[in-house]
Amino acid sequence: MRRIAPYPVLADEVTLTVHEVRLDDVPLPYESTVSERDRRIALHLVGKDWSTVRLVLRAAAPRHELEAGPWKKAAFVATASERRTNVHTAVKLDWGGPAEWVGEVELHRDDHVDRVLISGHLVATVDDVEGRVIADVARPWTVDLQANSPTPRDEIAVRWADFAKVPQLKRHEESPWTVSVTDEAPILYLNSGFEGLRAVLTGTKASDRPARELLASQIAVSLWTTLFNEAIRHVEGTDWPDGWRGMALRRMLPDVFPERSPDDALREVGRGTTAPDLPTRVLHAAIKQAKAPRSLANFIRSLQKTGSEDR
Amino acid sequence: MTQDGITQDPEAFGAWLARQLRRKGMSQSELAAKLDVTRAAVSAWITGRAMPRIEKIQAIEEVLGLAAGASVTRDEAPESSGFIRWQYRPAHIDGGRELGNAAAFAFDSSLAVTAREAAQNSLDERFHPDRSVRVRFTLHEISGERLRRFQEAILWDDLVPHIKAAGDTSQKVGRVLANGLRELGENGTLLLLRIDDYNAHGLTGPEYDDGRFAAVVRRQLDSHKKGTAGGSFGLGKATVWGASQFGLVIMNSTLSEPFEGRRERRVIGRIDLPWHKLDGEEYAGPAWLGEPDPTRGEAAARSWWATERTVQELYLARESSDPGTSFLIVGAYDPAGEATTLEKLHATLVQALATNFWASMVSTEGTAPPLEASVVALRNGDVVVPEERVNPHRYEPARSRALRAFLEGKTIKREGDADVRITNADDVVEVAVTLRVPRRKTEAKGDPIEHRAVLLVTPTTDSDERANHVVGMRGTRMTVLDRTVSRLPFGAVPFQAVLLAGTATGRDLDEDARAEEFLRAAEPPEHNAWKATEDLTTTYARGAATRLRDFLGEVYAEVRRVVTPSERAASDDGPPAVLRELMGLHPTPPPRRPGYPTVRSVTGELNDEGAWRLRVEIRLPEERRDPWFLRPILRFATRSGPKPEARWAKLVAESHCEVSGDVLICDPNERVAVFAGVSDVSSHPVPAHMAMAEVDVVQAKDGGR
Repeated sequence: MRRIAPYPVLADEVTLTVHEVRLDDVPLPYESTVSERDRRIALHLVGKDWSTVRLVLRAAAPRHELEAGPWKKAAFVATASERRTNVHTAVKLDWGGPAEWVGEVELHRDDHVDRVLISGHLVATVDDVEGRVIADVARPWTVDLQANSPTPRDEIAVRWADFAKVPQLKRHEESPWTVSVTDEAPILYLNSGFEGLRAVLTGTKASDRPARELLASQIAVSLWTTLFNEAIRHVEGTDWPDGWRGMALRRMLPDVFPERSPDDALREVGRGTTAPDLPTRVLHAAIKQAKAPRSLANFIRSLQKTGSEDR
Repeated sequence: MTQDGITQDPEAFGAWLARQLRRKGMSQSELAAKLDVTRAAVSAWITGRAMPRIEKIQAIEEVLGLAAGASVTRDEAPESSGFIRWQYRPAHIDGGRELGNAAAFAFDSSLAVTAREAAQNSLDERFHPDRSVRVRFTLHEISGERLRRFQEAILWDDLVPHIKAAGDTSQKVGRVLANGLRELGENGTLLLLRIDDYNAHGLTGPEYDDGRFAAVVRRQLDSHKKGTAGGSFGLGKATVWGASQFGLVIMNSTLSEPFEGRRERRVIGRIDLPWHKLDGEEYAGPAWLGEPDPTRGEAAARSWWATERTVQELYLARESSDPGTSFLIVGAYDPAGEATTLEKLHATLVQALATNFWASMVSTEGTAPPLEASVVALRNGDVVVPEERVNPHRYEPARSRALRAFLEGKTIKREGDADVRITNADDVVEVAVTLRVPRRKTEAKGDPIEHRAVLLVTPTTDSDERANHVVGMRGTRMTVLDRTVSRLPFGAVPFQAVLLAGTATGRDLDEDARAEEFLRAAEPPEHNAWKATEDLTTTYARGAATRLRDFLGEVYAEVRRVVTPSERAASDDGPPAVLRELMGLHPTPPPRRPGYPTVRSVTGELNDEGAWRLRVEIRLPEERRDPWFLRPILRFATRSGPKPEARWAKLVAESHCEVSGDVLICDPNERVAVFAGVSDVSSHPVPAHMAMAEVDVVQAKDGGR
């Protein structure tokens, strides 16, 4: 996808930084709250009920390009939006120096449940038309209300449970593992009542490694297949689903439809693909996610090594 | 007894006198006549029931032509060795022919088996129970004059015609003999393997009647063993002869209890040839090197008391006066054909001793191990491989550690049903396993006796190629059972397990002795398993085989139980590390060269009608044969929600593609396709100058195919 503007725009993008996070006017420790690298803010508010969060923002545009161009009355508008609640907030920041703007975005607890995207646009008067977008934020921020660490929740949760003793899992008592999906997160449950499963998966013996990895990748194949099938049920039109579903699809679709761009692949899925080989394609993508060929090859090699003469 | 006490031992005097008479070919009656005594008196002297008076002794010396006092010192006459010769057993009068030693064929013969059997015999013959039996293997390759001198000492030239006659290459034994002679001729070297034991009983007992001497020298399949002995078939000694290309072994024994009043340098040789015919005479095969014994007929030979010089010439001089036997295997070789050089033969012997007797060589603080073994290799008296004392901890580190911990009472014992698992790398877990010994058939009734065998399990290293084995032993702790434990639980630590059964438990209980007998009956001649042998099923009441199977099954089950890794109590200890990297949801970086067509460049402007006039370059991926069917899409960018699409009024192919309706058909062999397009103003959701536009390409669904 390429964008084209019918009027002059900046070639470069705007850098948006978060300088402070205040929770009901109390500044939060920066290090444990803000991850600049991942552009994330984690509100791990232990036991504290809060009502508002203020983010102190600073936006910076390429000064020379901006000053040399045909734009007038340049201003920066910060935005806060959450897909799940469909709340969109826009705040015009104050002038903070040449090609810089500062200000605060306020989030209300009642408006948000999960992840809020903090971004913005550089707007200006072009050809006598006011408020035209001439640049976007290079790397938007995410405020994660659930996370307890600013590094992203980019792993699927794994829990050990004795299936026989957990009512919700009792049905799967005989399965070594199962996957449960909710809107928040998928959870992989490993059956601690399945004899030996824990020994295999958590063992540290080098000689057992091929078998351990083989099992892990088998679990992963079934996990990714389940996640994909669950996620595509939530695809509507051309929009990527929220949360883990979108993330799972972004990882899987390039392998499901390698000849299509991710957006094109999503569109294909969104209009109810007619590809008759979809299950096969999904299996292929899951095998790839699970790195199954590598672990199987290692396992087979280990069999050849240990299956030697024995008396 | 004489008053001046020149001799204290009538028995020894009798044996001496009998020997002198044999040598002179003089009968008891002739001597009686010359001394003017009754024949009964001479008989009483010879049988040790009485001693002659001093003047009679002097007369005897005179009659026999011996130096005065010879009877006192009982020195053999210097010409003693002159009496020594090979005595060949004549063929059976029924014409029966033995073309090989059946006992020797009972084994897969190899030098390793010889070492095992020889050391086992020595261990069974331990004399002083508080001291080790010391077994020494000496490989000695001789040639030149040294070889010639040795051949003279064993009267080799007398043997050669017999060996040649027996060397019938159509028989297995004959081929080995012929080959041995050929190699000796070609190489001019002869390999001697000498096996010494010290602190063993030695070859005690009479020449022909029951005893250790007769069992080894005279008889086949006579084990002369009781109780805890490793061998019960008497086959072991056959492997000693089997290690000689000529079936030739010379023995020198220091006796633990005197015979004929003597202890040191009882010497005899034996060669096991097959039936053969020489100069018109037929021979049964075996021959003995010793003193002819006319009292037993023409073929018999007795052992003789050799001089120090003689045993030196025979390479059989013993290094201390400790009782025990030295076997000299003449023309030694590895029947398995694996070891050929002195170095390899040395290594084979060390390995065999370590594998079979590591348990007998493990000692504890302050106590001697049952067995000490060493191996040395020489060539013409020069050391080729220095003497190596076999160290069990070097060859069997895990098993030796387990046994030592048991002997020192440092194991982790499982009491009752308590769950004992291995947690540290040097833990030794001890578990009792019950063997229910059924009654013997000769016992009218009685409940099975419960024997508690000791099972030791300890971790070994990842590099242990023979990990996960259980070795079983009884009695003197020679390895009998050696099995891989199958169906191990996953994540089991690599281990070695040692099963001490019968008297190997060292407790001296009655049950242990009963179990010992039971297990001995369950051993095949190779001593490499416990199974339902004929001996077992004929000796014990019905169900013996089942009892044995249950016992071994329980052993394997216990091993599995002990090595099963313990499940941690925590119910939620996070994702196993191995899964983590397969479960990442974080976005993967987009491929540098995607496998799908992408818009590489869009340039253009609005025309006078307010329509977009665009020139679009499409990058096409490599490695595709079918043409690409692509639909270019023009969208108006919005801040949120679906982006509205506009239609094309016109599409014109510029390079490497053609237009078919609203689809571009691109050449898969090209990397870039270019087209131009003009938007349909009527389809614009907003005037084009008010919004940004996006151009993308998607796969045309059916592609016009």
